[in-house]
Amino acid sequence: MNANEFDVIIIGGGITGAGTQRDCAMRGLRTLLIERSDIATGATGRNHGLLHSGARYAVNDAESAEECIKENMILRRIAAHCIDETDGLFITLPEDDLGYQQTFVDACRHAGISAEIIDPELARRLEPSVNPDLIGAVRVPDGSVDPFRLCAANMLDAKLHGGQVRLHTEVTGFIKEGDTIKGVHTRNRQTGEECDYYAPVTVNACGIWGQHIAEMAGVKVGMFPAKGALLIFAHRVNNLVINRCRKPSNADILVPGDTVCVIGTTSTRIPFEECDHVAVTPDEVTLLITEGAKLAPSLSSTRILRAYAGVRPLVSADDDPSGRNISRGIVCLDHETRDGLKGFITITGGKLMTYRLMAEIATDAVCRKLAVQKACQTADIPLPGSEEKSYEAVAQKIWEAPTTAQKAAASRMGTSAARIRTGNKRDDALICECEEVSVGEINAAIDRLEVSTLTDLRRRTRVGMGTCQGEFCACRAAGLLAKAHGCVESERTDLEDFLQERWKGNFPIGWGDTLREAEYTQWVYKHVLGL
Amino acid sequence: MKFDTVIIGGGLSGMIAGITLQKAGQRTAIISTGQNALHFFSGSFESMQEPEQRVLDLFAEAGVRLHYTPGVRLMPLGTFKESALSLEDVDLFPTPAFAKKVLIVNFTGYHDFFSSFLAEGLEKQGMSCRVRFLNLPEMERFEQSPSEMRSVQIARTMDRVWEKVVQEVRVLLKDEDTVILPQVFGLQDTSVPGRIRQNIPARVIFAGTLPPSVPGLRTQILLKQRYQLLGGTYLMGDEVVRAHTHRGVVHSVATKNLDNHYVEADSFILSTGSFFSKGLVSNPFEVFEPIFGLDVEFKEDRNEWYNPAFKEDQPYMHFGVKADANLHALKDGKPLKNLYVAGSVLGDNCPEFGTAAGKAIRTALHAVDQILKK
Repeated sequence: MNANEFDVIIIGGGITGAGTQRDCAMRGLRTLLIERSDIATGATGRNHGLLHSGARYAVNDAESAEECIKENMILRRIAAHCIDETDGLFITLPEDDLGYQQTFVDACRHAGISAEIIDPELARRLEPSVNPDLIGAVRVPDGSVDPFRLCAANMLDAKLHGGQVRLHTEVTGFIKEGDTIKGVHTRNRQTGEECDYYAPVTVNACGIWGQHIAEMAGVKVGMFPAKGALLIFAHRVNNLVINRCRKPSNADILVPGDTVCVIGTTSTRIPFEECDHVAVTPDEVTLLITEGAKLAPSLSSTRILRAYAGVRPLVSADDDPSGRNISRGIVCLDHETRDGLKGFITITGGKLMTYRLMAEIATDAVCRKLAVQKACQTADIPLPGSEEKSYEAVAQKIWEAPTTAQKAAASRMGTSAARIRTGNKRDDALICECEEVSVGEINAAIDRLEVSTLTDLRRRTRVGMGTCQGEFCACRAAGLLAKAHGCVESERTDLEDFLQERWKGNFPIGWGDTLREAEYTQWVYKHVLGL
Repeated sequence: MKFDTVIIGGGLSGMIAGITLQKAGQRTAIISTGQNALHFFSGSFESMQEPEQRVLDLFAEAGVRLHYTPGVRLMPLGTFKESALSLEDVDLFPTPAFAKKVLIVNFTGYHDFFSSFLAEGLEKQGMSCRVRFLNLPEMERFEQSPSEMRSVQIARTMDRVWEKVVQEVRVLLKDEDTVILPQVFGLQDTSVPGRIRQNIPARVIFAGTLPPSVPGLRTQILLKQRYQLLGGTYLMGDEVVRAHTHRGVVHSVATKNLDNHYVEADSFILSTGSFFSKGLVSNPFEVFEPIFGLDVEFKEDRNEWYNPAFKEDQPYMHFGVKADANLHALKDGKPLKNLYVAGSVLGDNCPEFGTAAGKAIRTALHAVDQILKK
């Protein structure tokens, strides 16, 4: 068998693709994952990072709610280092209908979600940042999840099971024989190198871009691009997820994550052409701040770090202009039975929370085609890094008396932090001071996690995600990447791309301290460093 | 407290104004938050063509040695930029191909000096480069704490151990005609860069590091010493919280540290810098000047503040306080008779004074001339 022949090719390096590759690889298949950019660049990395309890969907979409709570419990077991078990509140404000609370709680319980009505006074004590005017509160098992970490851990586990990964590589066409997809033509977007890969089954896991990939294969999948805008604040003002106890609406979820918190989202239908460069508008920013301050009033005086937007991969069902009433349900299409096209599967719909289940469904379909009979184990075997539950225990095991930077590394990498070269002061030197990322951690990411650009590195390690937004760490890290890849010239362009990417999220909220920081960064890179 | 002139802001502009006024016999005070653009000074004064003798004298008397050699200077990421008036340890060349063989020397574990970018940039210009790293026992203490390896900490040590660097470089040096070192020398002992040059048998060039800029901090220290030697009152780490203005005349300002004590003066100079130094403050709806509420030139529509491309010129950087031809600050369209505006808080207003550091110096001197004419 040739080096470019596999059992299954998965297109798309989001969480669905990475999860599907892991599942396929764990069932013994030879897998190849192809992603045109980096992992987690689409909807995977552009959401709240909410570990849904399912409560949000309980009233309108019982099926999604049930899937959510089941997966919620599974992820706590298998992805401990990606998850923060914060719990969540659904609060009722004076302008909301308190009568909705009982409907909500009944629906939650029906879906198997524990939902406990608590006294507003207790809610204020549990979550001091909550709007003190609340008249009702329900506690649910929400949490937060780091989608970049989750995606990287899935990809890593697939690789540990023999999977291969081609990032920054796009599918330019399908290799078709009669009514069967036999493989794909690809082109590496960094080197221009073209390559063909062959497999009896190809899985389309491209989220909203799946419509385009399906078209390329000659079948039609109607998608519904719904943009959601979000804001990241520079402090973690809340420790519990805060939701509004009413019908899902704009900007009614505030999720804490690492050192920050995220408010979102909006929902606007956009034309397909905009999916590749969604921008956050000033109106959206105003709406998010105004609505966010109703959940936690201190948000109105908290510095905003960044604005960003993602596109939900919803499958078209009706003409609902907002996209909110479409089911977030999972859609797995076997194009052989649906369209008469053999060797091609589309897995779409769903959401970050249900990626594992989506991967299981897709892998079951792949296995049926290949007549492989192996059971799915992804719900039971922890992801690499998640073998231990508490990152503090992990840090202690590795370093005995861990520094704050080492604890931070353990919280990001879990047990994989043991692979960081340490004991040598040069490896302990900090590259990113905001997020406390060391030379050793960056080199560990470069070694195992397919890093080719600074932006890739940011997704693996949080370099440049902190308050300075990469002002200093970007060029320090660029030096390390240039050394690892032996190429300085491309690193110069990479540094420009990284700063551009940061600016894209900064200028929509460019006032106050954000503008101060931006002025400094722009002046330093242009006039002092000479980029 | 009563002064002839109170200067708000202790950056380049404020310091130049203070020194010149003290020399002319005035009693002045500078109120400085401590953060200013000298902390990330490149070492070259932008838009400073044909500097007046009195500018050169003013710096020379403070011990800041300048040279005026129009040409290009080497930037920290290995590119080149046109410059003219510069600090003595910033070299300017007629063309970017300034050497044949270059030895670039960095310290092991120092990530704020971009030796590989420099080498690549110089190789593009046809030079051959060798990069070497020094391990000095004196540097080991920085590695105790992972965030200590920064320009200022190294510079403090280098004032003492620069001779060891010279020895090590002499050992490393083969047939190179030029040696490049990071700009971490001469923070307190200003003779160090010159002495390094005398003791290495090749041309020595100092290339910039990540901020804080050691030449910038040195310049600030020297100007401040000169100002204080001339009898000026430097209120460090303080900031003006409000001003008392009556009928178009500023009478006094109150500061954070001197609670309830008004600082009075005949004239005031506002040299508080742009956004970074908080001379200009913004919220989602406007850009304002926080002390006097002066008229600020800015775009009403926030979408027009930015260019979505990071590397393009950014409109917000041109916003600034409005002033008349003699730099009187404008408030509600009318000049305040004894408040002058100098430096980057002006933004693009009063373009006849140039831009950046050149503008900081020229507007400071022009404001001083107006004050002394009275």
